[in-house]
Amino acid sequence: MSRSDAEQSKSMIRWRLVLVLGAFAFLAFIIMVRLVMLHTVEQPFLFEQGEKRTVRDEVQLATRGDILDRNGRPLAVSTPVFTLWLNPQVVNLQQIPAIANILDVSPRSLTKRVQKAASQGRSFFYLKRLVSPEIADQVLAQRIAGVYAEDDFRRFYPAAEVAAQLIGIIDVDQRGQEGLELAYNHYLQGQDGARRVVKDLYGNVVKQLAVKSSAEAGQDLQLTLDLRLQYVAYRELKAAVQQHKAKSGSAVLLDANSGEILALVSRPSYNPNNRSSLNAQQMRNRALADVLEPGSTIKPFTVAAALESGQFDLDSLIDTQPGYLRVSGKTIRDHRNYGELDLTGIITKSSNVGTSQIAQQLGAEPLWQLLSDAGIGQSDVLGMPGEAIGSLPYPEQMDQLGLATSSYGYGMSVSALQLARAYTTFTDGCRRNLYLIKSPQEAATCQPVFSNETAQKIRLMLETVTSDIGTGSRARVAGYRVGGKTGTAHKVGRRGYEEAAYTAVFAGLAPISNPDLVLVVVVDEPQGKEYYGGEVAAPIFSRIMQQALNLRQIAPDQPIPTMAWQGGNP
Amino acid sequence: MSWGIWMAVLVSAFSQVAAVHWHRDLLQVWQQETSLKLQLTQDNTRLVLEKSALTAPGRIDQIAREQLQMHAPETIRVLQP
Repeated sequence: MSRSDAEQSKSMIRWRLVLVLGAFAFLAFIIMVRLVMLHTVEQPFLFEQGEKRTVRDEVQLATRGDILDRNGRPLAVSTPVFTLWLNPQVVNLQQIPAIANILDVSPRSLTKRVQKAASQGRSFFYLKRLVSPEIADQVLAQRIAGVYAEDDFRRFYPAAEVAAQLIGIIDVDQRGQEGLELAYNHYLQGQDGARRVVKDLYGNVVKQLAVKSSAEAGQDLQLTLDLRLQYVAYRELKAAVQQHKAKSGSAVLLDANSGEILALVSRPSYNPNNRSSLNAQQMRNRALADVLEPGSTIKPFTVAAALESGQFDLDSLIDTQPGYLRVSGKTIRDHRNYGELDLTGIITKSSNVGTSQIAQQLGAEPLWQLLSDAGIGQSDVLGMPGEAIGSLPYPEQMDQLGLATSSYGYGMSVSALQLARAYTTFTDGCRRNLYLIKSPQEAATCQPVFSNETAQKIRLMLETVTSDIGTGSRARVAGYRVGGKTGTAHKVGRRGYEEAAYTAVFAGLAPISNPDLVLVVVVDEPQGKEYYGGEVAAPIFSRIMQQALNLRQIAPDQPIPTMAWQGGNP
Repeated sequence: MSWGIWMAVLVSAFSQVAAVHWHRDLLQVWQQETSLKLQLTQDNTRLVLEKSALTAPGRIDQIAREQLQMHAPETIRVLQP
C-alpha cells in the first residue's frame, strides 16, 4: 500500500464520518424543528383536539323528590334507570340484531334505522330511553363498541288511577306536565349537577377538572291526602259512576277543622304508569276543573243569611203556597205545595219558593256578601293548574229573578272543591282555607262568615235532610248524626238548560255534634230513572262517610246506645 | 442557596405526583360510592314500591274479607264513661 493510498483512504474515512454524522445531525435538527413546531405553532390546535377527545362536560341528574301522603305512603317515586344510546358511526351493524332481541324490538327495523342515521352522518341515536337496570346490563354485557348507557330516572305512581289527576304526570325529560307534578315542579325537581372531567377510552373518569355545581336532589312533597280515604272514596265513586252510567263524577273529603284535603277523587281516571291509552277526558281533574251549578246545596247559606240578618228566626214561617212563585214573568216551582214552612222545613223539603221569598226580603247585598265570604266564585282555593274559579254575579247584576234563582243556587257556578270549602263554614261559622301540602306547624286559618250559633242551627237543619222526611235520607250513616243537602241541577247546553241532563250533588258533614269531615259528591249526567242528588249522590256520600269516620276513629254520636248495622260494604 | 432551591423543586415535584395519584384514588372511590348510592336508591325504590303494592288498601280489603273471613261489626254499642 502506497502512502498516498493510505492518505486517500484516511480522508475517505473522515469524509464518510462527516457525512454520516452530518446526516444524523440533520435528522436530529429536523426532529428538533418538528418538536419546536409542535410545541409552539401547532400547540393550541393539538391541545384543543386532545381535549375534545378526553374532556367531557357531564350533567349529573338530580333525583326528583317523592310525593307522599299524610302518613308517608308513596304516591310518586323516582327510581334510577338507564337510557341506552349508540353512535351509528362507530357501531357494527352486524351486532344490532343481538341488541334488538334484548330490547324486544324488530331486528330488521332497528338495523334499518341505525343504517339511515349513519348515512345521514349522525353520531347520536337513542336505542331506548328509561330501560330497567337489568336490561341495560344485558345490553352492555354484549360489549358492542359504540353502545353507551346514561343515568336516568323513571317515575312510578303506586296509587295508580286512584289519585292520578291530582298527582299528575311528568314527561320523559323529568318535567311536570299535570297536577302536582306541574304545580310543584320546581320544588320536586332539584338542581342538576354539572362538572368537567377527563375520561379514558372506556368512559371511566380519570380526572375531575372542575365542578360547576353539584347535584341537589329535589325535596319530598308531603300531602294532607290520606291514601286510605282516597282509596275508599275512589272505589265508591267508581262503583256509583258505573252503576248510573254517568259521564263523570268527583268527590272531595275535607277535614272540617283544619281545612286539610283528605281525599280528592275523579272519574273517569287513568293509570299513570301505563300511558298507552291516555286521553284528555281521563286526565281532567273533575273535582277542581269542572264547574257545576250548585243548585239546592246553596240553600243553607241563604237560610244562614236570613238568620244573620235578624229578620228571621227559627220560628219564622214562610208561606210557600201554592207551590210556585212568579218572578219577572218566570215561574219558580217546588215539587209540590208544602204550605207554610219554617226555616228548617225549607231546608228539609228543599223549597225553592221558600228561599226565593227569603232572598226577596233580604235583598241581594247580604246574600252576595255571605256567599262571597263562603268562597263561592273566588279564585283563592289551591292554585293548582287547570283549577276553575267559578262565578258569582255581583248584587248589581242581580235582577229580581236573578236574586230569586241565586237563593237556590242557580246562575252561579262552583267547583266541587269550592263547594266543599264553603261547607266547612258550618263547623263553627268560619270558612276554612284549604291545604293540600302538609306543613309542620301551620295553624289553620279561616274566614269568618257567620256566627257559631247560626252554624249550629244550620247543622241541625241539615240533619233533618237525612231524616225520613228529608230529601237526603239515603245519606244516613249508622251510628253517626249526619247532615247535608241534596242538589240536582239541570246542565247547561247550547240552548240554555237541557231537559234531560242533570248534575246530582250531595254536600254534607258529620258528625253533627262536633263536625270532623266535610264531603261533597258530584255525579255528572247519571243515566236512567234515578238522577236526583238524593238518589244518586247521597248513597255514595253515606258509604264514603261511613268508612271515613271509622278509619279516622271518630266516636259515634248517635244517641241510641245500640243499633243495627245498616251500611253495605264496611 | 441553590441547593435549597433544588431540594424545594424535588419535593414539590414528588408531592405533585403524589397529589395526582391521591386525586385519582379519591375519584375512583367517589365513583364507586356514586354507583353504590345509585344501586341502593334502586333497591330502596323497589322495596318502597313492593311494600306499597303489598299494603295497597284494595289488597288488604280483599284478604281481610276473603282469606281471614273478617267483616264489619253487626252491632255498635256506645259506652258513655
